Amino acid sequence: MSSAVKLVPVQEAYDDLLTRTLVRIPCDLGRLIYLASTRDYNSGNYYHEGLANRFRPEVARKALEIAHRQAFYKLSAFSLQSLVSDLEAYLQSTRENPHEFLRAWQRLEPYRVAIPAEVNLTVARLFTSNLRLALAILRYRQAQNHSSH
Amino acid sequence: MIGTTTALIGAAVLLVVILVWIRGQSASRHSPAVMEDWLTGQDDITDACPPEFVSQIFSSRDFEFISQMESVDLKRLFLRERNAVALLWVQQTAAAIRRIMRRHLEASRLSADIEFKTEARILLQYGQLRLICGALFLLIGLGGLQRLQWMALRADKLTQRISNVLREFESGAQSREMDGMQSS
Repeated sequence: MSSAVKLVPVQEAYDDLLTRTLVRIPCDLGRLIYLASTRDYNSGNYYHEGLANRFRPEVARKALEIAHRQAFYKLSAFSLQSLVSDLEAYLQSTRENPHEFLRAWQRLEPYRVAIPAEVNLTVARLFTSNLRLALAILRYRQAQNHSSH
Repeated sequence: MIGTTTALIGAAVLLVVILVWIRGQSASRHSPAVMEDWLTGQDDITDACPPEFVSQIFSSRDFEFISQMESVDLKRLFLRERNAVALLWVQQTAAAIRRIMRRHLEASRLSADIEFKTEARILLQYGQLRLICGALFLLIGLGGLQRLQWMALRADKLTQRISNVLREFESGAQSREMDGMQSS
């Protein structure tokens, strides 16, 4: 009974997060990066001011944690082809110079911080590996376009 | 004649062992530093790699996509990356099953009513799984991962089966313990 009482507001907070915030982000990688950014690097706790005001902070924290893990598993299950398209959409949404973006992402691998805690290690490795490959593919395509012009 | 053949076979086996060892070392170098801690420290038997990811790691879909690019470098990078993921999965599965069996042996020692048939079945499945993991460890990198998909899925199914049997065993032992406490 008590767990059911706890789960209902978490579900509500989760739905709220989905319909108010995440739906506005155009791609899955963007959603993942956004959710990872709501996590404090020092404590590992999630925080979202609007959500914490509408619900209790611990409810908001749990909803963010669940949403982060789901976004991660969803993206990790993408085929390489779908991931390349999603990465391309994310790149366009950032409005950065594509060449610089790809170079920085290959060198710094910032997507590593987007991995939630307590996920399966093989899936985490698959995620970073696929992103590394997707970046290499986009770089390759960029070079191909450059040489054909 | 027999002596020469035996020596050749011995040398070939030794070479394979050395190659496997080198690959194992290289794979662990590519893995995060926390891996060892993680492999030995995790104790939740339900936190196995979801089957759809096992299928994905060993599928041909991504390889076909990469092949369309007609870039040798990309193909090489793909094979290196995917082999490292596959090797990590094998190591994770082997470590998980060792942990599960250790837990089961501890529980069996304390249990009064052990069924020989169930224990034999668990042992047989465990042996089979160890064999498959060993074979996968040897074969990953030698041939295409796609050809090993059935073996990987078989290993995954066996891991789940053993986990389920042992979970039932543990919950059975717990309920018997509860019954015993209530009756006394």
